[in-house]
Amino acid sequence: MSDASKPMVPEKVVELAVDSIFKKNGIKPEELKKNLTDEQKKVLREMVEDLKKQVDQFNSRNNETSE
Amino acid sequence: MAVYRISRAPYGYSRKNKHFYLDSEGRHKCSCGNNCSGKCKHGLSSKPEFNYKLDNNNDETVSQEGSEYAFMDQESAELIWVKESCDIVINTTDTQAGVSLQAGLQLAIALVLRITIGDTDRSEAVSQELMQQFDMTQSNKQKIYIYNTKDANITTTDTDLAINIQVLLQLLVALTVIVDIL
Repeated sequence: MSDASKPMVPEKVVELAVDSIFKKNGIKPEELKKNLTDEQKKVLREMVEDLKKQVDQFNSRNNETSE
Repeated sequence: MAVYRISRAPYGYSRKNKHFYLDSEGRHKCSCGNNCSGKCKHGLSSKPEFNYKLDNNNDETVSQEGSEYAFMDQESAELIWVKESCDIVINTTDTQAGVSLQAGLQLAIALVLRITIGDTDRSEAVSQELMQQFDMTQSNKQKIYIYNTKDANITTTDTDLAINIQVLLQLLVALTVIVDIL
């Protein structure tokens, strides 16, 4: 069983893939930052943190049962 | 995947121990010492009715009297068959939780894109392209048969689902870094 704490895809690969898809669709990251209000940022940040926690929980449960 | 089980007669009334295992081709082997080619009549059970050929047929589900089976089908299918056995402990991955977590991550990615890009058409195009590249949907099929066995522990894991969840989280985090949320 692979170690769940390690990233499955190298970070640079993810960054590059996202970047190329943005470019292909004519989207500039600088413009994206302007579209967000502080309130929206806060809500999205909480959502991402929450999902991170859930993934950690899921992984630790998996590791427990695989031992 | 090889599933290896030992059945042993309780209280030593019989000195014959039988070792069953299914190898990756699904062949049944018996270690009773007699050349019985899978249809052993020298052990505990006088007449094995179990169809070992099932292991090679992915589409077929046969229900037999007196057997229990649990079947979960989302992106993974798991079949654990326990027959004429006792004291079997089974641990399986919580597939349901994994699938909903995966859906939650996909939704979050689409949401981040929609809010930040604003333009519905473009955001949908981007999220579809991202999902195509990162969502590795694979089917995971596990079938385990336990027959004529006592005191066995079975543990199964769904690695595909766990990896997919990890990759989607990575993508979500990368996106949030790009748009300056984290």
